[in-house]
Amino acid sequence: MAIRVSENMKFNTMVNNLFRVQDSYNEIMEKMATQKKINRPSDDPIGMSRVLSLRKSKASVEQYSRNIDNCNSWIEITESKLNSVNELLIDAKEIAIAQSTATASAETRNISAVAVQQIIDEMLSLANSRYGDRYLFSGTRMDEAPFLSSYTDSSRIGNFIAADDNAFDGDVTAGGTYTGAPYVVRIVAGGALGEATYEVSDDGGSTWGLSSTIPASGAISLPGGLDMTFHDNGTNQLATGDTFALSTVKTAEDNAFDGEVTASGSYTGSQNKTYAVKIVDSGSFADATYRVSSDGGKTWGGLATDLDTGTITLGEGIDVTFTAGTTDLTADDIFYVNAFPPGYYNGNSEEFSITIGRDTSFNYSISGESIFTDKTGGNVDIFKILNDLKDSLEANDPDGVAAQLDSIENASGQVNENIARCGTRMNRLEIAENNMADLEYNLTRLISDTEDADITEIATELAMKEITLKAAYAMASEMGGLTILDFLK
Amino acid sequence: MSSISLLNTAREGLSSHQTAINLTGSNITNVNTPGYTRQVAVFSSLGCVNVGAGQVQLGVEIEKIGRVYDRFLGVQINDKINDLGYSEAKKGILEKVEIIFNESDGDGISELLDKFWSSWEDLSANPSGIVERHALVSAAQNLASVFRSSSDELVSVQNDANTEISGLTDQANSYMSDIADLNMKIGAIRTGKGDANNLRDKRDEALKGLAEIFDFQHLEDSNGAINVFLPNGMPLVMGDRIWELDVEANPANSSFYDVVFKDDTTAVLHDTITKGKLAGFLEIRDTKIANYLDDLNSLAASIIAEVNNRHQLGYDMGQNLGGVFFEPATEAENMRVSSDILEDVNKIAASETVNGDGGNAELIGAFKDGLFMNSGTSTFNDYYASFVGKVGQDLSGEERGLDHHTNLMNQLVNKREGISGVSIDEEMTNLIKYQLGYNSAARLCNVADELIDTLLNLVR
Repeated sequence: MAIRVSENMKFNTMVNNLFRVQDSYNEIMEKMATQKKINRPSDDPIGMSRVLSLRKSKASVEQYSRNIDNCNSWIEITESKLNSVNELLIDAKEIAIAQSTATASAETRNISAVAVQQIIDEMLSLANSRYGDRYLFSGTRMDEAPFLSSYTDSSRIGNFIAADDNAFDGDVTAGGTYTGAPYVVRIVAGGALGEATYEVSDDGGSTWGLSSTIPASGAISLPGGLDMTFHDNGTNQLATGDTFALSTVKTAEDNAFDGEVTASGSYTGSQNKTYAVKIVDSGSFADATYRVSSDGGKTWGGLATDLDTGTITLGEGIDVTFTAGTTDLTADDIFYVNAFPPGYYNGNSEEFSITIGRDTSFNYSISGESIFTDKTGGNVDIFKILNDLKDSLEANDPDGVAAQLDSIENASGQVNENIARCGTRMNRLEIAENNMADLEYNLTRLISDTEDADITEIATELAMKEITLKAAYAMASEMGGLTILDFLK
Repeated sequence: MSSISLLNTAREGLSSHQTAINLTGSNITNVNTPGYTRQVAVFSSLGCVNVGAGQVQLGVEIEKIGRVYDRFLGVQINDKINDLGYSEAKKGILEKVEIIFNESDGDGISELLDKFWSSWEDLSANPSGIVERHALVSAAQNLASVFRSSSDELVSVQNDANTEISGLTDQANSYMSDIADLNMKIGAIRTGKGDANNLRDKRDEALKGLAEIFDFQHLEDSNGAINVFLPNGMPLVMGDRIWELDVEANPANSSFYDVVFKDDTTAVLHDTITKGKLAGFLEIRDTKIANYLDDLNSLAASIIAEVNNRHQLGYDMGQNLGGVFFEPATEAENMRVSSDILEDVNKIAASETVNGDGGNAELIGAFKDGLFMNSGTSTFNDYYASFVGKVGQDLSGEERGLDHHTNLMNQLVNKREGISGVSIDEEMTNLIKYQLGYNSAARLCNVADELIDTLLNLVR
């Protein structure tokens, strides 16, 4: 039987079909306009989450590439500084060779000693060079220049801290065995080393002892076996009123505890270290508990409660004494002390690292310890041999000068070794960089495959849909044109 | 058989065809009236009387004016309207949700997460850099703010659904009262004479309107009244009585509305309503969006907790142990960078030791590959990517469902139109037919008249 076709049926079918054709036409228009086949999550939910994951991987890869670029420039600068160091060593060697012969005289040796001092100054500025805000050769310590201009004979724990508005801008170091009193040194009359006078307080600055003159060497002895040395390596001389406090233990800015903290004892360790104390339970000395870290606070030892007397033992010869203030020790108060064996080096043996791939950490810095000192893989203390060379020249001692030749040779070897390390690291970075470039290319391709529209395909489809749409319009316009009414007269 | 009775027969024929033509006219003019059921005149012979040797036909009458429709098709259509309403409601809301999480152009949570982790790595490369610290804070603020706004927008979409629920309840009440009203009128007409066809069409439309809102069962009783029940048998309309619905704010569910009966506000009807727009909005509001919010919150909470934990193990520029990086919170809407860090970027604990290295920043930067979500099986980014996939999947599923229901609906509507719809061709043919009948009846009149004339002339 024939199906009854009512007017509404005809129009409904027409309209529904028109809508459907227009909808798919619009969809393709959108893809054409955005050049993407995924324009919203519902277009292809699985594709969309794949694209998001791929984009995240791509962002990581871009970040890794940026990190690698950063490392590369760091290492390039390191390498160029080390090449300069090597040139300075060659200069020193030439001087040593020339001045160890009998043809050299006391006079030439004296002149050469000045040249060696210049080499030392130059070397110091190289060893203390920075990249951005950071010292290239301080390990991971950022707060101080890594190298001192003069040798400290004994182990040091901490430095004299200069008051903020002091005029004097040279280094001030402490040595000897510290007994624990809160020493403060105040300049009474300003001037150059050898002229200025000072006075000492052993109670944090309440009472002052008799004043005396600072010798030209800058070294003064404080009561109780402690030495203090002023280094005239700045531009300003000592001025009246400059104060230097021996605050061997540094405290975190926001600590609640406001008493005195001092370190004492002599450091027996062989490498530079940062000891840190973290208060775990707040309270008076009897109640408070703490943990000790020997790696600057990265890892912590067991919980200790022996704070009763206010003095605790950190290890390797260092003791710390707390003197109560008005506020008790409070949880998460941090106290730390930097400990140094004899030498010129202020930094540590750590290396900076950065992520250059998933779960791949890359150490890009070389600590000054392994380049310039006889520790951590190093054999010779470069500053020491240069200073020894200078001393021998000043003393007009050809044998002493000759004795440094081998050492300088070794020092060159040590620096070359580290230049080679830079090369190896750069090679590794280059490989990583190439990998990243490949990876980035592949990821870009994958993302494009997933979300980008194939223009040829879309254009063909668009043309097809256009024909369909035109046909639908043509049909719609014909509708109602043919009815029985046309034949009724 | 008399000529007078022939005149009578002709009169019946004239008036019957006149009625049929009128009816055709009504069908033609209502060709575009929604829900209009075409009406047909049912001609019927008045019978005959035995007169002497033969029978004499008495003529024709319009026995009744019929509505041409298929009762079961009506039920099927209402069922489909239920499904359509349900899918439409869900699709409409899910489209709004999709806009919130449309990451096809980037700039969403996913990209800001990438930037956040990258900023930590940049900081690790230069731990004391003020520029890097500010860049990190701004990346973190952008991340937190997009989490907050996504959460706010989800909640506002949820509120939209809630408002719809209240509006739909009012609408349902109005349809129910229309049905009760029409029940009464139809009953009144039935007790008199007439078929109330137009009123039935109107009532069918009201039922369709109600079907769009929720699912129900209905029966026509002996008085011609349609009684409407919820699927669990609770009455909504009985004759001219209705049981109105109402909404009640539920304090246990964010003060969202519960659908209840006006005279029993304690019994919540959500389990009974399983189809139609109302069910769609209820499901979206209480299940879908609630789940999306849970997912978003758990992502935000994990990021806050993990970053804070690691941050508190590091050291800031003043050698203090790190504080919290984000204000501790478990909801995305409360994700904020800690006020201490906003005040002073030096409080960012980038260092792993008191010496000011960048180790802690490097460790936090590596969180981008850390498996912190889904009990240690996926990264933050993967979790979010699959969340976006889920939103897309839900919507595309609903779009498919709606397409399917729409196609079925079109078929059913066509089928109904095939039976009940007006065909101009048919009506025109009918018109010709009835006109012919009318003209013939008039001709019959003429003949009867002439016959009587002839007869009277015989007498003269």
